[in-house]
Amino acid sequence: MLLSRFWYLILSFALAAAAGILYVAQGFYNRHTERWMTEALAADASAVGWFLKDDARTRAAALLPVSLTPELREALAKASESDEVSKELREKAKNALTKAAKDVPEESKFFAIFAVDADGRVVAQWNYAHRDDKDWNLGGHAVVADALAGWVRDDAWITDRGLTRIVARPVERDGGGEPIGAVIGFTVVDGAFAQRVSERTGANVAFYFQGNRSGAATRPAPEGDTEAFKSADFDVMNTDIKEAAGTDDYVQKGRSLVRRPRQDIGLVYTRMPGEVWELGSGYIVARRVTLLTAPLDFFKAADQGDKDRAPQNVLIGIAIGLGLLGIVFSIIEHTLPLRAFKQAAHDFALGKVETLAPSRFRGLYKKIAADVNDGVDKVLSKGGITRRAADLESVIGPLPAQPQMSAFAVPDAAPAAAPPPAPSQAGLPKAPERKAPPAPPGAKPSQAGMQPVKDEAAPAAPAAPPAPRAMPKPSRPGAVPPAALSASGLTELADLAPNSQPMSAPSPGDELAEWKLVYEEFVKVKKQCGENTDGLTFDRFKGTLERNKAALVARHSCSAVKFTVYVKDGKAALRASPVK
Amino acid sequence: MKLSRRRAILLGVLAVAVPSGVLAATVKGKVVNTSELLNPVWNEAKDPGSHRYTFREPSPSVPADARILRGHLSKEVCIVALTEGKAEPLKKPIRVVVEGGRTSPVTLVVAEKQEILFENHDPWDHAIYEVSEKGGLTRGTMTPEKAGSDSHKRTWTPPGPGVYEIRDEISPGLRSWVVVEPRAHRALFPNRKGDFDKLELDPGNYTLVAYYSGKQVGEPLPFEVKPAPAEQPLKDPLKAGPDKKAPEKKDEKDEKKTDQGKGGG
Repeated sequence: MLLSRFWYLILSFALAAAAGILYVAQGFYNRHTERWMTEALAADASAVGWFLKDDARTRAAALLPVSLTPELREALAKASESDEVSKELREKAKNALTKAAKDVPEESKFFAIFAVDADGRVVAQWNYAHRDDKDWNLGGHAVVADALAGWVRDDAWITDRGLTRIVARPVERDGGGEPIGAVIGFTVVDGAFAQRVSERTGANVAFYFQGNRSGAATRPAPEGDTEAFKSADFDVMNTDIKEAAGTDDYVQKGRSLVRRPRQDIGLVYTRMPGEVWELGSGYIVARRVTLLTAPLDFFKAADQGDKDRAPQNVLIGIAIGLGLLGIVFSIIEHTLPLRAFKQAAHDFALGKVETLAPSRFRGLYKKIAADVNDGVDKVLSKGGITRRAADLESVIGPLPAQPQMSAFAVPDAAPAAAPPPAPSQAGLPKAPERKAPPAPPGAKPSQAGMQPVKDEAAPAAPAAPPAPRAMPKPSRPGAVPPAALSASGLTELADLAPNSQPMSAPSPGDELAEWKLVYEEFVKVKKQCGENTDGLTFDRFKGTLERNKAALVARHSCSAVKFTVYVKDGKAALRASPVK
Repeated sequence: MKLSRRRAILLGVLAVAVPSGVLAATVKGKVVNTSELLNPVWNEAKDPGSHRYTFREPSPSVPADARILRGHLSKEVCIVALTEGKAEPLKKPIRVVVEGGRTSPVTLVVAEKQEILFENHDPWDHAIYEVSEKGGLTRGTMTPEKAGSDSHKRTWTPPGPGVYEIRDEISPGLRSWVVVEPRAHRALFPNRKGDFDKLELDPGNYTLVAYYSGKQVGEPLPFEVKPAPAEQPLKDPLKAGPDKKAPEKKDEKDEKKTDQGKGGG
């Protein structure tokens, strides 16, 4: 029992452990996913920042050939020395600028390029029409002032095109000296720029200024990947950006902590360096993750590939192996001892052994065997008890209520008033305790362990010695008194019937004689019960027995039926017992 | 002696009979000691802590002594001629152009009740406002210049004496000052070299003062405008800062500073 109980324990522990592991795995997965997302977003934000810096440097380098264009330098030098910039000079500068701008590498192409003189006046502009022949000064911007002072740097403004990145570098005379002007490149931060940033950094990135998105791009996702971050997912920023812009990290460090406007989306806001730093402008990097709300969500979140990667053969093997192990344990602990006990009980029933040997059994069977032995010993010490005969009603089903076994009643007889119980009946015990009538001589022994049937009037037979357990012969045929069955009825009769010693079918003469005795007994008991026996002839009685015998033989496939008389509810009744 | 008396009488009669503008003289001069003047916006912008750039580095081909950020005198230094009494405002509004990250001029000194006209010359919006919000110049958008529209203009009359700082919501680098000085008779701006020659003043006593970033700088220069000659150069330059004992070489520091613009400029 220990093994199988232990096995159940193992199974329950295994189940609990599996559930626990799932819960732990869920928490672990969620924690690590969030951690991964935090780190990935920080990396993305840094990568975008580095890209912007590198891009600014690259564009500043791309402006170098422009700033070295001789015609442009000459025009800017002349403009710087004069109060008014002539139209011819502007034209000359513009031609030079246009030519130089076209030579800028495609990767670093600017949206617009301006050339300013030492005063910051725009002398020429490429791809941007504004006050073409009038003075327009850009020298107030720090980036332009720096360039006019010999510095190369970048900036970001809000222009009519939205968020715009600026790069400026000085234009110098031949042989160096104080700058004579500067060239300024504009790059509009739009969807195309964002796409380029995303391609280079692998980040999902969106730029924003004054709370509005100016361009967004996402990493290319495999087809059918429903969990990939989509450009539309950036819409979550609309409701979140105001709150994010108010956080200490964003205000002081320029970068927010990871924000989760939606459970599956993480965002990091980063302020963009430049004039726009103070204008609520910057970029967002975003990631989408799948978090589990319940342990079984693993199965929802897993795709077919994940499921295919699970070691299915191993899992099936474990299930089958553990199942077989459990069956083996069950056989070892239950089936084998039960079979051994069953065999021993069978041998005991056949009389091959006189007692059950507890030492041959294991576990509880030892105790059962010992108890059976003790019980048998106690019964034997009392002289044995008579097995109760099978109840005919239990055997063949409900019988007509009037009379009790109407087949045996005399149809013409008037119903007798219920007589007071006879003195002998008053003392009659219930069926299990009741002694069977005395068995006729020559009756066959019924079963192992049967006590001889005694007549009620006869004195109790002396108790048989406990050992050897001799099989006393029944006193008369027809008695079906196995003590072991007397208290159990039909069920036990059915169980024990196969174990009964086979009885040959009695000859018609013997059966008739037996029935005669039963008839006499029946009449006698009826009279004792105060019942009317007029018209109850043996022929009619015999006819009834024959019909009932035929029914019982057909139902139980028995060779014979034995009838005994007993009192039920103060009336004489017959009990039939099929005999194999 | 008789002759000189006659001449004096003649001059006196002319002075009474001829409108004062006819006798106005053009004062010429020069503002010096301006090397220390630096637009605070630019000064802040070169500080990495201000987050105004991703990189800032010197151009290697520009000599270190040329890589110095200096104020733009023609737009940032305001030279004011103060009268001895209260000055009258000009009848026409003074135009201030908003463009290129600043106003031109950056600092303007005016008399009381002087109307100022702001014009946006940039191709994008500006939204200037007076910082203290007590001057009456509230936040308002000035669109780019359009034909037939005045949406790119705003007028404003400062309410009284004081210094009014003006900023732009859309371009945080734009920072200007309007100083209302009751004695401010005329304001003008030097060229890049510090010379000025368009100060027309009636004869009388004046004090020339330089303003930078909304503050008076240097030493006031009292002078007298005589009825003649028509051009009267000032004997002394207007000092916008203290005299230097020896030239400083902070450029060398700049040369060493590279990316992230630690100091420099």
